[in-house]
Amino acid sequence: MSDDRSSLANRAVSPSPEEAARESRHEVLRELLGAYADRELPPETVAQIDAHLVGCAECRHSLEVHHTLRARLAVEPPAAASPAFRARISAAIDAAPVPTAPRIAADARVTPGPRMLWLVASGWVVATVLALTLAVTSGSASRFTPSTRALAAPVHDVPLLGAVVDDYARVSRGDLPGRARDLDAVRAAVSFPVEPLRAPNLRLLAAWTTDVRGEPAAVLAYRLDDRLLVQYLVPEDVFFQHPAIRAAIADHHLLRAADGDRTVVAWPDSSTGNVLVGNVPTESLQSIWRSESTR
Amino acid sequence: MSTSPPAVDPIAELRARFEAVVMPHLDRLLAFAIRRTDSVADAEDAVQEACIRAWLGFADLRDEANARPWFYRILRTVLSDMREKSGRRQQLVYITRLEDAHEELVGGEHDALFSEVVSRLDGEAVHRGLRAIPEDFAAAVELHDIDGFKYVEIAEIVGVPIGTVMSRIARGRKLLAGAIMAERGGVAADARTTERRSAQGGPR
Repeated sequence: MSDDRSSLANRAVSPSPEEAARESRHEVLRELLGAYADRELPPETVAQIDAHLVGCAECRHSLEVHHTLRARLAVEPPAAASPAFRARISAAIDAAPVPTAPRIAADARVTPGPRMLWLVASGWVVATVLALTLAVTSGSASRFTPSTRALAAPVHDVPLLGAVVDDYARVSRGDLPGRARDLDAVRAAVSFPVEPLRAPNLRLLAAWTTDVRGEPAAVLAYRLDDRLLVQYLVPEDVFFQHPAIRAAIADHHLLRAADGDRTVVAWPDSSTGNVLVGNVPTESLQSIWRSESTR
Repeated sequence: MSTSPPAVDPIAELRARFEAVVMPHLDRLLAFAIRRTDSVADAEDAVQEACIRAWLGFADLRDEANARPWFYRILRTVLSDMREKSGRRQQLVYITRLEDAHEELVGGEHDALFSEVVSRLDGEAVHRGLRAIPEDFAAAVELHDIDGFKYVEIAEIVGVPIGTVMSRIARGRKLLAGAIMAERGGVAADARTTERRSAQGGPR
């Protein structure tokens, strides 16, 4: 069988319209050969490629490369995680905080009653509903988060947190000092990365810069449902200055604190520290942090 | 005296589910991390961090059938954070050299030769080849060919449209073939190297 691409290459003159169309089709179809080899294409495209392969040696060779590499990589063995490594992971998970939903259920189990026991046995969804109901009726979510994870000292004993909480109080009383469109300007103004938080129902409202205890900070304000949250991003050396923050991060990856109705969570990124403040239940802030940490 | 059923410990139950759903993938994840780090110790650190993040977010995992891609996505985030922190740069053979080697390969009757070369590759050589091509392409190829994900799952793990996955796998295999042939021909040894191209700046 003749090879239409070879004959095409041997012609010095301009290709005919038919040849140009064939070449164009070749360019398109050869980009699909990987997906063809992987059986990820719809039948009609497969049929087009089947027909093209009959007359195109280059695509046949290219397809063979795909098949050969795929077959070789498929037998690449997994690594064997050693028993010691598995034990290390198990210990690390033991030392980590427990995910929120089971913790709520566990706390509910501490004060047993027939209704409560039924709820615990009914699973996480029901337990979460119970926790939210109790939070509303009691006016506080703190009973669902163990005190061992909260900052023991008053917020203002940790200068960074005190400064942030005071700034939040000032900001939340007046007009926000920026707009969401100012984000790029904020990024350009500070020496560390500034990435907005992403979580369900969380929308960026404004971005601006400020200084926290004499150090530059980026500030992002969000709307969470009908509440205002403010995120302060500071350099990591500023973030880790106070021993209470270092201890909380080392033990729990997250610092949690409260100042009156205001709740605070703080955690480090690769090169920055985040302090998130809002007049919302701590659980809402922790949920945002979890979304970030699993992103 | 009547006996009541034993109380359910929700935390223990969740932990058991985590062990059953996530931990069976540990070997594959470790291999994926080893191919992206400088040492097994670094890879283990990354996988450990991914496990902790997975545990902390496990209550948010709605469909346990999606645990494997979800776990890979977390690990990729951890590895990306580590690279950013360490400032590590991958040494790449020039892309054009790999493309040239691939073009030469498919432009002639070299199928049998290539098949023989590939069949003789040991694990180290495969890793060198994968490390010679941009991370975005290598990851897509590995997630499909080694870890067995479908295109739609890779799109979810990597966070790109499925068309981009298709393109990265196709181009990744071409570059890998070029890297293998270039190394065999000694091209890689002479090649100048350049820094890894980022997902944004790299070729698609």
